[in-house]
Amino acid sequence: MNALEQLIFLLEGVQITLSVSVFAFLLGIATGIPMMLLRAFGGKLWELIVEGYEKVLRGVPIVILMLLFYFGIGVRVPFLRDPFVSAALALGIRSGAYQSQIFKGAMRGVGEDQMTAARALGMSKLKAFRHVVLPQMFIIASAGLGSEYALIVKDSAYAFFLGGGLLDVITRADILRAYALTEHWEYPYFAYIPTALIYIALTFPLATYLDRWGSRRKKKLGI
Amino acid sequence: MPDVVAEAENVWMEYKDIIALRDVSLQVGEGKIKVLFGPSGSGKSTLLRCLAMLTKPTRGKVFLRGEELTSPEADIDKARAKIGFVFQNILLFHHLRALGNVTLGLRRVLGLPKQEAREKAMKALREVRMERWVDHYPAELSGGQQQRVGIARALAMEPEIILFDEPTSSLDPELKGEVLDAMKDLAKKGRTMLIATHEMHFAREAADEMIFQDEGRIIERGTPKHFFTNPSTDRARRFLARLVREGQSNV
Repeated sequence: MNALEQLIFLLEGVQITLSVSVFAFLLGIATGIPMMLLRAFGGKLWELIVEGYEKVLRGVPIVILMLLFYFGIGVRVPFLRDPFVSAALALGIRSGAYQSQIFKGAMRGVGEDQMTAARALGMSKLKAFRHVVLPQMFIIASAGLGSEYALIVKDSAYAFFLGGGLLDVITRADILRAYALTEHWEYPYFAYIPTALIYIALTFPLATYLDRWGSRRKKKLGI
Repeated sequence: MPDVVAEAENVWMEYKDIIALRDVSLQVGEGKIKVLFGPSGSGKSTLLRCLAMLTKPTRGKVFLRGEELTSPEADIDKARAKIGFVFQNILLFHHLRALGNVTLGLRRVLGLPKQEAREKAMKALREVRMERWVDHYPAELSGGQQQRVGIARALAMEPEIILFDEPTSSLDPELKGEVLDAMKDLAKKGRTMLIATHEMHFAREAADEMIFQDEGRIIERGTPKHFFTNPSTDRARRFLARLVREGQSNV
């Protein structure tokens, strides 16, 4: 393969890296918000349970979660025996534990008064949350969510440890390395540099955009 | 009494180390304007919040059109939709434009279709002379404009009664007038209102009855004329004298 072919081969992994990451990010939102709500409104017991769960997830290296899902639980649960599923699920539930914190801070930022004003109109708690609190939470949380997304994209590279079944960017870089070193093992190998640049391109612009969009929006709305 | 809109009956509100309301009873009849006044901390806000069931009184009963809201079976959300509330610190929804602030309840609580909600909201915004600001976010409006949107938000729901919790006290003096004017307009149209305020000019002009509250109790009630000529309790007299003094020094 010439350099261009190699680059194309790497770029073909972008789709997979992004799919894993976006899926994990959405799963993080879908688990993070309910956990935050359970913690805030579920009473003392739920608070303790959720807090413990979050501490464990935030304390364990992500690669261990992936390996556990794929090689551990996956042996008995065929659904997890797919490296895409194992990687995305591990990244997603771990992200939920972080996003729960992000949303907790955001809800505090929205403040209870907004809830009161919505309830005064006759909205149920759920409606008030959905139509008044949540939209403002996303604005306040946007910068935090941006860096959380960037973290997921980078950590998705650990899927590399799942044995090469997932042809994401990092796994493809490793395939190129293996291919190059069998033929020219004595030469220094630099394809990790474009690989790194690809990861930067996948994270930096969106995270920066969300950060700026969030600050502009906050300023405009006075929140 | 079929024409009583809102009623508090022997309401108490007791917190851990403070009693905010002590055995307060009050009725607001259809089309009546009542002004609630008294020193800060006298329980005016708490009483209004109890009437809207934003806080549940620890003892006593609250009624809306004869329906007991303090009963466990009461549908509080449904009742709140019929009670307008204007907040001291305004509390517009930051993320919605003026129009969106007014349509939200119409759409999501009353379930009106978009177009109808919009028309109703515009009507309410015209009543407070904010029709030209509908596309502005709250942060882009002055305090007085924000509060007028706050009034429109309550008004658009066509409530049985509007409760005002010191609607001008967070505003700069030069912005109070436009809000008070909007409230006077509503008064002329026969809206039922209960207003906690220290604006004695407004009270004199618009109130059917004034209620003086201190330390969680209703101390004295009467017409504006009664209060401004010859209040019968010492506390009311002293409080009014102080308000007048401060009012003069503010001008």
